Formats: sequence, structure tokens, C-alpha cells
Amino acid sequence: MERRAFHILCLFTCLAVVVTVFAQEGHPLTGTWSGDWGPTPTQRNHITLVMSWDGKSVTGTINPGPDAIQIGTVALDVTNWTVRIEADGKDQSGNAVHISAEGKIDDLSSAHRKLAGTWTQGTTKGDFRISRD
Amino acid sequence: MTALFFAEPVLSQRSFSSTYDSSRQVKVQGIVTRIDWVTPTAFFFIDVRDATGTVANWAVDIGSPIELERDGWKRSALRIGDAVAVEGVPARNEARQASAKSVVLTRTGKRLFAPSTTRRAAAPPAPAPRWPDGQIRLGPPPGKTGYWGSASTKILVENTAAKIPMSDDGLLVNIADADKVAPFLPWAKAVYEYRQRRFLRDDPYSRCVPAGGPRQFQMPNGFQFIEQKDLGRILVFLGGGNRNWRVIFTDGRPLGTAAEAVPSYYGFSVGRWEKDTLVVESLGYNEKFWLTSAGLPHTEALHLTERFTRSDLNTLKYEVTVEDPRTYTRPWTGSWTIQWVPDQDIQEYFCEDNSDFVR
Repeated sequence: MERRAFHILCLFTCLAVVVTVFAQEGHPLTGTWSGDWGPTPTQRNHITLVMSWDGKSVTGTINPGPDAIQIGTVALDVTNWTVRIEADGKDQSGNAVHISAEGKIDDLSSAHRKLAGTWTQGTTKGDFRISRD
Repeated sequence: MTALFFAEPVLSQRSFSSTYDSSRQVKVQGIVTRIDWVTPTAFFFIDVRDATGTVANWAVDIGSPIELERDGWKRSALRIGDAVAVEGVPARNEARQASAKSVVLTRTGKRLFAPSTTRRAAAPPAPAPRWPDGQIRLGPPPGKTGYWGSASTKILVENTAAKIPMSDDGLLVNIADADKVAPFLPWAKAVYEYRQRRFLRDDPYSRCVPAGGPRQFQMPNGFQFIEQKDLGRILVFLGGGNRNWRVIFTDGRPLGTAAEAVPSYYGFSVGRWEKDTLVVESLGYNEKFWLTSAGLPHTEALHLTERFTRSDLNTLKYEVTVEDPRTYTRPWTGSWTIQWVPDQDIQEYFCEDNSDFVR
């Protein structure tokens, strides 16, 4: 049993190392980011953001799939690596809802760089933490 | 055990500027305890005794053994037990490691591992070799061996830029000069400056990622062209990575588009001859490498046009035009020359070889 656990540990360790090697060195926002947002530390909602840079603007999607919300604007301030995201979608009841998020990129050189800050969805305010997959 | 796995990733081929602090000097004397005459970097280790009698082991970096041997030095120049005096540049961190500028053998007073004062052996001046059909040969003349060795520079800047003060591996003396290096979009300039401020230590190449794009022609171990005219392709064997190679198709196939290509480190390349110049267009690059050791960024939209001109037996001019509208405001061109190394073959080199010496 101990041996099996050790092998599993080694496997995950190796995977972690491999992921570290294959970093993305292009535009800092390009890629798939995942994490959560919520009004309190215990009330969290999983979120996935997919963003890409076309040379003029960053476009993207929040939670790709049947409930996807297209991101309206993404503003990246390269002087301090802060990001502002605006999007309009629908909540679970089908009502229009506006999303506004503002955060800061941390550990820019990492393959798993992080983006964290404030997240406002409709009238609910909270925070968000996502990292690049 | 897990902690060991998560220790520093493989750091075997870091740029000089990320490893050493050129603004400082160090002098140490000691007894040689170990000699590692391996690529890409040869080291010897010495026990250094301080005023209190405490002994500390120092790693002394003496550079590429390939370059040392070309300068006439052999591993046997130094023996375990020899006393030496070393002057050099210390590591940026607190590691007991230095890049040697001077190594003096105490018992003879002789300076070891110094670069040759005479120009390294080059083939006698001669015209560029040609195939029977008159086309320039990019490899050795018939019946000979050789490969393309040192590039005239390890940096890539726009040809029209005035001389910009920077280290050999592209670390700017003045970060305000970033604008002069290339026509960056704002995000790209900010990323470039970020990498520069971190002394280039995030270079993916230091993690054994291939030196993609133009950087492949600036590697210390050189490269070699294998021209397979019957197959309509040219193979480029690269000495500066883990036995990497690249294919340039010369059979007339179309370049296609970046969206169709599987993104890779060397991209998809097609070549054609324009008189005596091989013109190669490439796209389909991934975003996992830096264009140069200095941290030039790019995106998957990168399109390179490379021009290889062998002006004589010993000289290859390399010119590259970088087009990436997601990273740069306009296409721009840089160039350098590469020296022919006659009568030798590329030596074995694997990135991992020195992983335990950078500590």
C-alpha cells in the first residue's frame, strides 16, 4: 500500500514538473484560467475564463459551454499588470446580469500565473482568484 | 523525497547574466577537489580555507570545454590536488560559485584556460563550395567535415538601431533602451522589461526547452546543414539543444498558414534559392520559448523570413525578418554572421548534463 501511494506521489510530482517546463511565454492573458469567485470565503462559484490576444484586443469567454458569457472588454494595464474585465450575461433565472472584475496578475513569469481581485456580478460583490491552467 | 522533486527545476543552461553578477569580483585560492570536463560548461571545484580555518568548496565555471579545446586546453591541464588562485565573477545568489576570468596554477605561476591570443584555426580563405549544378553548398566541401560554430553575437536587435549598451547575452545596461531593441507593442515591451529586470532568469531555455526561432543559430555548440537535394529538404542539426533538428522543405510545397500548423519550437519551414541566398519562410511557432536570450517575446502569429548567404567558405551571413503583428508594430530585421569550424564535428551535448552545478 505504501509503495502504491509512493508511486502515485511520484506520478503527480512528475506531472507537476512537466507542466512547469511547458510555460506559455506569449501575451500574459492568453490561455485558459480557472478558479472561483464568491462573496465570502465559503460561498464560492467555480469559474473558467478563456482569453486570447489578437493583436488589438483581448477577447474571451467566461464559463465556456451552454451557459457561456462572452467577455465584452478586457483592459490590461501593463504598468502594474492590473486587468479589468467587463461582461454581460444572464443569471440562472435568465435575467440580465453585468459582471465586472478587477484584479492583478501575480507571478507573471510562471506558467501558472495568478489573477486575483474583486468580482461584482449583478448586485453581489466578492472576490475572485484564478490561475492559468 | 517530494521536496527534492520540487526543488529548483533543471537549471543547466542559464544565461551568464542570470547566473553571475558582473558588477562584482571575487578572488579565491584553494586546492582542486574535482574536475568536471563536460558540456555545456566545464567546472572545477576547490576547497577554500578562510582566516578562521573553515573550509568551503567553491565551483569554478571555466566555460565550454569545446571552446577550451579549440583554444588548445585539455582536461589534463589541471589535476586534483593542485593549488590554484582564481579571479572571477561571483554568482548572483549566495552560492559559492564563480565564473573564472583568471586561473593561475600556484606551483608554476602559469595561467590556465585563457583564450588563445592567436585567432582560432579557420580554414584557409576560399570561395564558398558549390554543388555540381552550381548551387552554394551550406555544408562542408566534398570529402571534408566541419560545421557552423560561433555566431558574431548572441543578441538580436533591429539592424537599424544604434549600438545599444548591453551584456553579451542581451541584458541592457539601461532599461530605458528597450524601445531601441525592437518595435514592441506596449504589452510586449512591458514583458521584455520585466524579464530584463529579473536578469533573464526566467529564460525557458534554462529549463532545457529548445532554442526556437533565430536563437537556434546563436548556440555555442553550433549547427550543421544536411542538404538532401533528392528529397527536396534541408535538415538543420542543432548542437545547442538536446539533439534537436529542424526540417526546411525545398520541394516547392506551400507554406500554408499558422492556423493550419501544429505549433512547434522550430515552426514549419519552406525554402527557396534566390541566386546564392537560401530564403526560408517559417510559421507555426509555439509560445513556449524566447526569441533570444534577452527575452524577446512573440505569439503564435510569428512569421520568420530567414536569409542564409554563404559569402565564402568560412562565413555565413544570417538575416532574419520578424513579423508578428500581435507583438511588434511592424516587421523588423536583425542579422549576424557565423564562422565555419573546419575538420570537426558537433560534439555531444545534452542540456541536463550540468544540472547540479548551478546551486
